[in-house]
Amino acid sequence: MTPGLTREDGQLKIRVMKGLELTPLRLLLLLGAIGFLFVLPAIARNTGDLPIRIRPIYRGMVLGLAAVGLNLLLRHTDLVSFGHAAFFGTAAYTTAIMVQLLNVQSAVVLIVVAIVAATLMATLIGYFTLPHEGLYFALVTLAFGQLIYSIPVGIQELGGTDGLNALTGQAGVSINEQYPHLGGIFLNGQEVPNTILFWITIVLVVLSLLVMFRIVRSPFGNALDAIGQQRTRARFLGLPVKRYVWAAFIISGIYGGIAGALYALFFSTTIDPGSTLQVFVSGDILYIAILGGFKTLTGPFVGGIVFETLSNVASDVVLTGPAGEKEVGRLITGAVLLIIVFAFPSGIVGSLKPGGRVYEGVRELLRNPGVIGPWSRRAGNGLMNMVKRAADNVRILIMGVK
Amino acid sequence: MAPIGTELLEPTSVAVQTLNAVLDAPLTIGDLLQPERFITQTINGIQAGFVLFLIASGLTVILGILDVLNLAHGELYALGAFVASSVGGYLVGTGANAIFSPPTSFSPVASFGFVLVLILVALIAALIMVPIGALIETTLIRPIYDRAQVYQLVLTFALLLIIADVVELVWGSDPQQPAFATIQAINDIPSFDIIGFGNIPTLVLMVILVSLGLGLALFWFFGRTKTGRIMRATAIDREMATALGVSTDRTFTLVFALGAFLAGFAGAMQFVITRAQTGMGEQALVLSFVVIVVGGLGSLRGALVGAVVVGILQNWMIVINPDFQTAAPFAVMVLILLVKPEGLFGSWGERT
Repeated sequence: MTPGLTREDGQLKIRVMKGLELTPLRLLLLLGAIGFLFVLPAIARNTGDLPIRIRPIYRGMVLGLAAVGLNLLLRHTDLVSFGHAAFFGTAAYTTAIMVQLLNVQSAVVLIVVAIVAATLMATLIGYFTLPHEGLYFALVTLAFGQLIYSIPVGIQELGGTDGLNALTGQAGVSINEQYPHLGGIFLNGQEVPNTILFWITIVLVVLSLLVMFRIVRSPFGNALDAIGQQRTRARFLGLPVKRYVWAAFIISGIYGGIAGALYALFFSTTIDPGSTLQVFVSGDILYIAILGGFKTLTGPFVGGIVFETLSNVASDVVLTGPAGEKEVGRLITGAVLLIIVFAFPSGIVGSLKPGGRVYEGVRELLRNPGVIGPWSRRAGNGLMNMVKRAADNVRILIMGVK
Repeated sequence: MAPIGTELLEPTSVAVQTLNAVLDAPLTIGDLLQPERFITQTINGIQAGFVLFLIASGLTVILGILDVLNLAHGELYALGAFVASSVGGYLVGTGANAIFSPPTSFSPVASFGFVLVLILVALIAALIMVPIGALIETTLIRPIYDRAQVYQLVLTFALLLIIADVVELVWGSDPQQPAFATIQAINDIPSFDIIGFGNIPTLVLMVILVSLGLGLALFWFFGRTKTGRIMRATAIDREMATALGVSTDRTFTLVFALGAFLAGFAGAMQFVITRAQTGMGEQALVLSFVVIVVGGLGSLRGALVGAVVVGILQNWMIVINPDFQTAAPFAVMVLILLVKPEGLFGSWGERT
């Protein structure tokens, strides 16, 4: 099956690869989105005060990529991993260690070895978490993530809580040449190398998404779906459940590893446990998957960019409390998360897709603007019901059931 | 920022600093074997373990009955500590406005009376947490019981973020410490020095005894009272409990409120022994997970054993190798997972 044009139910579709057939409009939208990402560095350079900053967007892209990996477990095997920072951080630290302690400077070698390290870590952790399901799985992955976190914290050679630079610090070499290099370009955090790295990351993300698309459409992906729906049944069907879950865990770890290595190359002077391995990074990755829509393929990636931009903007918001002024970034991201959980459980991409809440809502509105009336009535009723239910609960709590 | 996991044991208060003078010299493994240091570290570990038990017991009960992993539990604990700092500031002080003033020297009636006042502070702080917990359960968590588990995790994660910022809005980001006179009044009571361990503050003993009392009350509650047995029955078989006329709605709210109470009480204890500070919640939360995995999901007895093990271990690690103080509990957890994946005491219900 080569790329080309097909016709399905009278509609023209463009086949990108096996199984991936898009209508011209959707393909155009996708290409537009990718193109937009490519010009983002230029936009960010020229917007001055606008909250389009390249660093949070880049962080969002790599965390989004890690979330795409996490989503393989979440969406298909119904396992909630709360320790995905372990793979992200392992790769980031491997990169930093290799540059700093072993004087490796070739970016390609760095990325490859970092991914291998993350893969090994995923293999190991996956083995231990394999027997667990449901909440216990979340608990155990979280605890493992925390174990990995506490290793660099405890080792002084790795900088403890201050972290490690991905700079070699070789004597007799100019400061520029102490950075990792990619085909002769030193990734020194300046505009040009960063833009190049940004583009490379976009390409890698697109490739990773395509690979993930193939994985979830393969018999293996279907088997994971079956396992996610009901493990016992999947086992009775003859599927090697444990081996498949383990494989899925490793694959999701590899995605985290790619993300971590790319992160380390971009933020080459600050690889600290707090921003790569801590439990909050795992929380962020999960948050990103939910925000973007964990029932979709691209959702987690979109969620990553939106999340980081949001937290970047929100961290500037200041509220005045009894103890004085305070930035309330977490408060706002938490509130957004509440809204997502209650109003848009299918996330950004899930809501915008045909059949999604926002998509259908907008379509209905365009067809008949008068629909706003019933909507507001419904919202009012829902609110009334919520208050009534809460009152009922309080009554039952105090008086018991009569 | 301090590494996660050490805060619960970080000796910061004046009381614990006196103890630390002994520990100032460079340490080796052999040092732990000196009887005096060994006993000091062990008793400190028991104290940290009991506070951790109060936190983890709330988490494990909520997990066992509601099937919700409450990621905001650590923040409830932190909130409890800050509430206790305010309640303590209002009730206890040296100024003219204070209702109770700490005695300046040891006298049996005044000193032991003051211990009761501190317990009252902790109780009030914990009781303030009860309606907060009930409100969270009824308004936010209740609507999503029948949704996928990931939403409950994400919702409680959102609560964690919100509470953490609200605490900083209300109390600021500086740590809140109990007044020196308060600590001194308790430490004036002779306790360990009678048997020759003068370097362990009486405050540590007070926290151990009070937490032990609450812990025993908890075992009695789940083992002997009707409400407690109803809660256990709900944990074992929710549908059957409903069929027998148990209101699961009421049970769930009560359980969550109980969890908030325990977290609040633990926070108050922690405030008295060190201080209330931002970031203490996440550290306690993560250690509680270790406790739950070690002890067994939803097992109170397991939580007690797990918490004391983690507490003592971390305090020993301060002497053996402080760098791995954070990692040690997690290493134990991995070991337990390898040997007994269901935890030391299995799951909840049949036994308290």
